[in-house]
Amino acid sequence: MSYDTHRTYAFHHQGKKLRLYHIARNSGRVVDAQGRVGGGISDSLVYPNEAITNGLRIEYTAIVKPFVQQDPETTSYSSLTEVTSPKETTHVNLNRMLSLAIVDFVKASLAERQGDIQLKEYYMKEFFSKIADNESNKNKVYIAHPIDTFAVK
Amino acid sequence: MTILEIMERTNARDTKLVTAFVKDAIMKIQSSTEMETKVNKQDITKNVRDYDLPVDMIAIHNVSVLDTEDDNKYKKIRRLSQEPNISEDTSP
Repeated sequence: MSYDTHRTYAFHHQGKKLRLYHIARNSGRVVDAQGRVGGGISDSLVYPNEAITNGLRIEYTAIVKPFVQQDPETTSYSSLTEVTSPKETTHVNLNRMLSLAIVDFVKASLAERQGDIQLKEYYMKEFFSKIADNESNKNKVYIAHPIDTFAVK
Repeated sequence: MTILEIMERTNARDTKLVTAFVKDAIMKIQSSTEMETKVNKQDITKNVRDYDLPVDMIAIHNVSVLDTEDDNKYKKIRRLSQEPNISEDTSP
């Protein structure tokens, strides 16, 4: 019988645990033992007050199908087969831009192994730049404004 | 792009090492962007506060609780900015 769960629940992240609290809305206008009346409404955090099957939903980022058999640029996502032990012919499950970012990351890691920190920093900058490009490519929105019939030009 | 192409572009010879670097890079990408998300559902138990986070989690995107009174919709809940004063309630 949970209701308004977006208002009556809150969480806190503690290490590997998620702490779930129920927000109990209490009316402060209750007469106490001395006859005093509370001044307002107070909320308190309590443990969940009911059992809900599949009640908690956590959406999170994870590594999903990192390596696939087919080329992800020519095959639809649902048809891709995951490869658990990747070989040289295995595809990385990313688009072209992020694959190029990965090339920069590998170059940076190899430079770090050789002790060339300046080169590593350069390639890491390129890596993050390509990730940023990939994100901004999704946000290009073109807005068309209709012209009023009697608009003064 | 195949692992072989990455090796050719980076002039690397060790397949296992390059594969490990690719995994690190994907984790780094997933840590800063929401390229791919997964969903984990758990039962809420009465008077139980602590729930396990998914073992393969890189970053939390959102947390929702089922609203059974509103056609079983999951509604996003807020994150508390700080831990409540009561560290443990022995008789919830």
